[in-house]
Amino acid sequence: MIDQLFGFLSYYIPELITVILMTTLLVAEASVKDEHAPRTKIHVFTQIILGIVFVCLCQNLGETPVQIFHNAVTIDPFSTLMKMIMVVGTMGAVFLSHSSKDIYTNLKSEYSIMAVGVLVGGMLLASANNMLTFYLGLEILSILSYVMTSLKREDSTSTEAGMKYALYGGFSAAIALFGISHLYGVFGSIQFNDIAAQVSSLEGSRLAITLVASILFFVGIGYKISAFPFHMWAPDVYQGAPIPVTTFFAIVPKMAGLASLVRVSYVFLSEGSPLKVSWVGLILVIAALTMTVGNVTAIGQNSVKRMLAFSSIGHVGLMILGVVVMNQTGVQAILFYGIVYMLMTLIAFFITSHLSDMYGSDSYDVFRGLVYKHPVMAIIMASVLFSLAGIPPFSGFVAKFNIFAVVIEQKHYGIAIVAAINSVIGLYYYMRLAKNLIFGEASSDEKVVGFSTLNQTVIIALFIPVLLLGVFWESALALAGNATIFIK
Amino acid sequence: MNGILNWILWLPIIGMVGVILTPKAKENTIRMVTLVTTFITMVLSVLLYVKFDTTTADMQFVTKIPWISQFHINYFIGIDGITMLMTFLNALLFFICTLSSWTVEKNVKAYFALLLMLQSTVFGVFFSLDFFLFYVYWEVMLLPMFFLIGIWGGENREYAAVKFFLYTFFGSIFMLVGIVALYFVSGQGADSFNILALQGGKFVNETVVIFGKSFSFETIFFWFMFLGFAIKVPVFPFHTWLPHAHVQAPTAVSVILAGVLLKMGSYGFLRIAFPIFPQAASDASTIIAVLGLISVIYGAFCAMAQDDMKKLIAYSSVSHMGFVMLGLAAMTTQGMNGAVLQMFNHGTSTAMMFLMVGVLYERSHHRWIVRPDGSKGYGGLATKLPKYTTIYIIGLFASLGLPGLSGFISEALIFLGIYEKFTTITVIAVVGLLLGAAYLLWMFKRMFFGEVNPDIEKYEDMNAREVFYMIPLCICVIVFGIFPSPLLNVMKASVGQLVDLLSKY
Repeated sequence: MIDQLFGFLSYYIPELITVILMTTLLVAEASVKDEHAPRTKIHVFTQIILGIVFVCLCQNLGETPVQIFHNAVTIDPFSTLMKMIMVVGTMGAVFLSHSSKDIYTNLKSEYSIMAVGVLVGGMLLASANNMLTFYLGLEILSILSYVMTSLKREDSTSTEAGMKYALYGGFSAAIALFGISHLYGVFGSIQFNDIAAQVSSLEGSRLAITLVASILFFVGIGYKISAFPFHMWAPDVYQGAPIPVTTFFAIVPKMAGLASLVRVSYVFLSEGSPLKVSWVGLILVIAALTMTVGNVTAIGQNSVKRMLAFSSIGHVGLMILGVVVMNQTGVQAILFYGIVYMLMTLIAFFITSHLSDMYGSDSYDVFRGLVYKHPVMAIIMASVLFSLAGIPPFSGFVAKFNIFAVVIEQKHYGIAIVAAINSVIGLYYYMRLAKNLIFGEASSDEKVVGFSTLNQTVIIALFIPVLLLGVFWESALALAGNATIFIK
Repeated sequence: MNGILNWILWLPIIGMVGVILTPKAKENTIRMVTLVTTFITMVLSVLLYVKFDTTTADMQFVTKIPWISQFHINYFIGIDGITMLMTFLNALLFFICTLSSWTVEKNVKAYFALLLMLQSTVFGVFFSLDFFLFYVYWEVMLLPMFFLIGIWGGENREYAAVKFFLYTFFGSIFMLVGIVALYFVSGQGADSFNILALQGGKFVNETVVIFGKSFSFETIFFWFMFLGFAIKVPVFPFHTWLPHAHVQAPTAVSVILAGVLLKMGSYGFLRIAFPIFPQAASDASTIIAVLGLISVIYGAFCAMAQDDMKKLIAYSSVSHMGFVMLGLAAMTTQGMNGAVLQMFNHGTSTAMMFLMVGVLYERSHHRWIVRPDGSKGYGGLATKLPKYTTIYIIGLFASLGLPGLSGFISEALIFLGIYEKFTTITVIAVVGLLLGAAYLLWMFKRMFFGEVNPDIEKYEDMNAREVFYMIPLCICVIVFGIFPSPLLNVMKASVGQLVDLLSKY
C-alpha cells in the first residue's frame, strides 16, 4: 500500500514541488525584514524552482498515462503539456511582477505566492479525473484569483473587481456543484472513468437529467475560461487588477479551464454518447458568441491592457472550437494554439506593462512612435500583434489554420465563416495599435527606460519561438499531436 | 536548371539581409545593394525567359520539397507561360522602382529592406503551386505593403494603409476557408494542397451544408475565392480601397501596386478560381463580365472627375483592369490571351504613368491638375520640359490604347474574344475606350498646353537617372505594341490548356 503510494508520488513530483515552493515562499516572505526591499532573491528562487518543475514535467511527458490516488488524478501527456504551458505562463507573470510598478513592493512576494497557488489549482484541474478533484482544483484556482485581483489594496477599482469576481465565482461554483450532485445521482459515481463507461447507455429521464446537469457543470468551467455568457466579470477584473495579474489571468486559469473542458467533453461525449449532438451544438454556439463578444468589445477599448484582455476572450472562443471534434486532431489544435497564445500574450503584456510603468498610462497614445524610441521592441510588438491577428509568417497564423482545419474537417462551414469574420475584426483592432507603434511620430526622442537588457533578452527569447513556429511548425505540431488524453 | 527559379525567389531576401546588415548611415551602399540585387534578379528572369520551353503547358523549373508532412504541405514552386510574363514584369518593375526611389530620404534602410521583401513575396505568389504556400505568400505580401504605404506615404497614409490591409485580409480569410475545405474534400491526400492536382472540375458533384442549407460546393467556394481575388483586382464594387492606397503610397509603391499586385488578383482567377471550379466559373461568366464592364465604365467616369493626377491614374487602373475581367469572362482563346497580355501591358503603361507623376511631384510637391480653388496646378509643361513631355506622351498613348502601342493589341484581342459571347457588353465596353481617351487627353491638355504657369519656370527637365529608368518601359510599350508575338508565344500553350478545360463546361 505504502509502496504503491510512493509509486504514485513519483508521478506527482511536479505538483509536490510546486506546493512546497508555495509554502517556502510564505516563510521566506515572513523573514524579509525591510518592508520595501526588492524581493529579488525570492523571485530568482521562484523562477529556479518553477524551472525545475518544468523539467520534471518534461520527464513526465514521455511516460505512459496513469491514474493515481485511487483514480482521482490522471497523469497523461495532454495534462502534462497543459501544465507546462501554465508553468511557463506563471514564470513569465512572476518575472513581469518583479519589475512592474503596478504591484506594490511589499506585495511582490505575495504575488508570487498566490500565482504559484493558482498554478497548483490549475495543475490539479488539468489532471482531475473525478468531479471532486475537479471541484477542488477549481476552488483553489478561484479563491486565490479573487485575492490576486484585489492586490492593489488602496485602489477602489481593484478591490471592487475582487469583490465582483468572488461573487460571480462563488455563484458559478455553486451551480457547478449543483450539477455535479445530480450527475452523482444519475451515475452513482464521481469518477470520470465510470461516467464515460455509462454515458452511452443513457436513456429516458436519466438522459434528460444528465443533459441539464452537464450544462450546469459546464457553467463552472465556462466562467473560468470567461466563455459567453459567463464572461460578465471579465471587464471589471481585467480593468481593476494590476497588469501582471491580468497577464496571469489571461493565461493560467484559461489554460486550466480549457484543459478540464476538453477532458470533461471527452467524458460525456465518448463513442456513441447520446449527448453528443446537443453538446456539440451548444459548444459551437458558445464558441461563436464568445469570440464575437470578445472581439467586438475589444474594438472600443482605449486601454491596451483591456484590449488584450478582451482579445484573449476572442482567442478562447477560437480555442473552444477545437473541442467539438473530439479526436486527437482537435486536441492537437488546442494545444498548439495554447502554446503560441501563451507566448504571444506574455510578450504583448510585457511590453504594455513596461510602457505603462514608464508613462503612467496604457492608452494607445503611449505607443505612438515607439519605433523611433525603441525600434526592436516596437517591431516585436507589431509582429506579435500581427501574429495574434493570424497573419503569416507568424505562428498565430498556424494556430488559427489548425483550428480552421479542425472545424472544416467536421464540415461546420457556418462556424468557419463566423471565425473568419472574427479574424477580420481582430485584425482591425490589433492594427489600430500596430499603426500607432510604427506610423506615429514620436512625441520625444528619449529612449524608453523600461526595457533593461534582461527584459529585452526575455522578450526576444519569447519572440523567437513565435517566429520559428510560424515556419517550422512540424515538430511542435507533432508534440501536440502526441499529447493524448487518457480517460479509462 | 531548376535552381534559377529558387534564386529569383530568394535573392531579394538575401539582398534584404544585406541591407539590414549595412550600417544605417551608409545610405548609398544600401541603395547600391538593392539596385544590384534587383538587377541580378532581372537578368535571371531574362535568362529564365531564354530557357523557357514555349511548346508545353506543363509547369517548368519545378522544385518540390516536403514542408509539413502531416498536412501534406510542400514547398512547391514552378512556372508556366502566364507566370513567366508576370515574373519578368515583376523583376523589371522592381529594378526600375529601385532607381526611382533613389531620392527617398526618410529611413532609407527600412525602405529598401521592405521593398526587397515585397519583391520576394510577390514572386512567391506567382511561383507557388502549393495552395498553403500560395496563401502564406499572399498574406505576407500585405506586411511590407502596409508599412511602405503607412510610413512613406502622403498625409492620409495611416487610413489608406489600414484600409488596404483590412480589405485584402477580408477577402483572403474567406479564401483560407476555401483552401482548407478543398483540402478535406479532396481527401486529405498527398495532393490535397497541390493547386495543379485540384484543377479540372473535380468537385462538380460535391455539396456543402451551411447553417442547415445545402449548396453546391463549387458555387460556394468559387464565390469565396472570387471575393479574395476580386478585391485584389479590384473589381467594382470592391475597388474603394484602391484610390486611397494609390494616392497615399510613395511613387515606387504605387508603381508596384498597379504594376504587379493588381495582377495577382486576375492571376488568381486564371490559376485557381477558374480551373479548380470550372462549372461555377462558367455559370458566373455573365456576372464577371457585367462587373468587369461596370469597372470599365465607372472607373473611367471616376477618372474623368478627378483633379488629382494620381487619383486619375488610379481610377484608370480600375477601368483597365475591368478589361482584363472582360477578357477572362469570355473564356475563349483570344479573350484569355488578351487578358493576360493586358495584364502585362497595363503593368508597363500604368507604371510609366505613375513614375511620371512621381517625377513631376518631386519638382512641384503637389499633384493638382486643377487646384481646389479653380486655378491650374500646371500648364504649358510641354514648352518647358521637352524630355518629360515626350516620354509622358508615349505612356499616355499606350494607356489609352493607340494602335501601334501595346495597350491597343491587348484590348483589341479582348474585344475579339468577347464579342460573340457578350455582344451588348462589348459594344458598351468600347465606349469605355473612348472615355479613356477622353480623360487622358483632357488631363494632358490641362497640364501640358496652354499658358505657362509661372510656378513651373524653375522646374528642371528629367535628369539622366530618370530618363534611364523610363527607357526600358518605353521600349516595352513600343516594341510589344508592334510585335507582341514574343509575349503571346510564351503564354500560348498555358492559356490554350485553360481554355480547353473551360470549354468543357
